[in-house]
Amino acid sequence: MNDDSTYARDADSPEVSGGDGVDRRGFLQCMAWAGTGLVWTVTGGVLSSRALSPASAAEPARDFSFVQISDTHIGFKGEANKDALGTFEQAIARIKALDPAPSFIIHTGDITHTQKAGAFDTVTEALKGTKAERVFYIPGENDVFADGGTEYLGRFGGPTGTGWQSFDYKGVHFVGLINVLNFKAGGLGSLGQAQLDWLKKDVEGLASSTPLVVFAHVPLWAVYPKWGWVTDDGEQALGYLKRFGSVTVLNGHIHQIMQKVEGNISFYTALSTAFPQPAPGVGAGPGPVKVPAEQLRSVLGLREVNYVQGKSRLAIVDSTLA
Amino acid sequence: MNGSSRLIRVRWLWCLAVLGTATFGALAVPTWAPAGQSGPGTAAGQMAQPVAIAAQAGPRIEITKHKFSRPTLTVPAGTTVTWLNRDEDLHTVVSTTLAFKSAGLETDEAYSYTFTKPGVYEYFCTLHPLMTGKVIVK
Repeated sequence: MNDDSTYARDADSPEVSGGDGVDRRGFLQCMAWAGTGLVWTVTGGVLSSRALSPASAAEPARDFSFVQISDTHIGFKGEANKDALGTFEQAIARIKALDPAPSFIIHTGDITHTQKAGAFDTVTEALKGTKAERVFYIPGENDVFADGGTEYLGRFGGPTGTGWQSFDYKGVHFVGLINVLNFKAGGLGSLGQAQLDWLKKDVEGLASSTPLVVFAHVPLWAVYPKWGWVTDDGEQALGYLKRFGSVTVLNGHIHQIMQKVEGNISFYTALSTAFPQPAPGVGAGPGPVKVPAEQLRSVLGLREVNYVQGKSRLAIVDSTLA
Repeated sequence: MNGSSRLIRVRWLWCLAVLGTATFGALAVPTWAPAGQSGPGTAAGQMAQPVAIAAQAGPRIEITKHKFSRPTLTVPAGTTVTWLNRDEDLHTVVSTTLAFKSAGLETDEAYSYTFTKPGVYEYFCTLHPLMTGKVIVK
C-alpha cells in the first residue's frame, strides 16, 4: 500500500536533524499542515520541523502534542502479522521515546481483535506506562461485536455509560464519537440520533474560532462505502461542525493513511499497529493484507499531532514502525 | 518454528474451548488441521478432528473476502449448515432475530447450526454488516 497514491514520495528531501529518539532508517514521514495544502514527504530522516517550518530546522514549535494510536487488534494472530503484540509493543516504545512526551493519547478503536479476556488490559496497562497524562479511548467494531459493547462501556463508558465524550485541552475542544454500535444487517456504522443530539448540544455553545478535534473509529467521511468505510449519519454530524474555522477529524478502521480536506474540515485516517488493509477498492474486499516480512513495519505505525496556539491548523506527523 | 507451532496449538485449544461451550444445537468446530500440528499433549485435538468432519456432512457456506459463498441457501428442515471462515479477517454469523449466533470466527474456524423449523433465516456478520445471507428452510 505504500506505493499507492495516498502519499507522494520525495526522494530528494535533504537530511534533517534528529534528536527525537525515533529510528532513522526507513522512516516514512508524512506531514500535513491541515488547511493549507499537504506536504507529504518521505525521507530517510526523522521527524523534524523542516517540513513543518522551513525557517527553523529544530524541534517543531508546539503548545502541546498528542498521539493517535489505532487498530492495535490485540489477539490478532493471522498470517498478516504473527506478532501483533510485538508490533504493538514497538509502537508503545516509540511513544515512550517521544520528547517532549505527548500530553495525552487517543486510541481510535479496535483495541482488541476478538475481545478475548485480558486483551483490553494489555493495551490499557501498556499505555499507562507512557508519560502521557491521560488516554482516551473509543471503540472499534472488534471491541464490541461479541457482547454489544457491555465490556467496553463498562470499562470506558464514563459516568454516562455512553462512551462518547468531549474535553477541552489548552483551548482545543476534543470530541470522541462512537460509530460501531448497533450494527444492522446490510447497514453501515452509525452514530445514532441520541449521539447526534448530544454532539449538537456539546458544540453549540462554543465560539466558531475554537479549534475542534473529532475522533471516531470508522471514517466519518465516505472513504469507500462499498466496504463499509463510511459512517451512515456522518454527514449530519459534520453539519454541526461546519461553522468552525478549524476542524480535524481523526479516524482509524482502514489501517492506512488517507487524508481529505473539505472546507475547514481536515480528515485523516491512521495506520494500524497490527496489520495493513488494501487501498479502497483494490482486490475483492477489505481485510488483513500479508506483505513480505521485511516490509511489514513500514505499513504499521502511529501518529503524533502537534498543536500551536494561534494557528488554525494542526501538524499531523505519521510515522511507521520501520 | 517452535513459536509458530505453539501458536497453532493455542488456537487449536481455544477452538476446543468453544466447542465445549456450544449450546442450542449450535456447534463451533475446529476444521483446521495444519501440517505439523501434532505435538505432545494433543489427545484432545485428535478427538476433535472426526467431530469436525462429521459436523460438515451438511451444506457448507464459506466466507472469503467479506462474502458468504452461498448468500441464499435452501435446505430441508433438520439440515445442519456449516459456515467456514476462509478469510484472514474475523467474522461472525448472527441471525437478525438472534435465532442463532456464532462466536467470533477466526481463519479456518467454523460454526454449525441445525435448522429444525421451516422459515426464512436472515443473518449477517456483526463486524461487517454489509455481509448478509439467508437460509430458507422448507
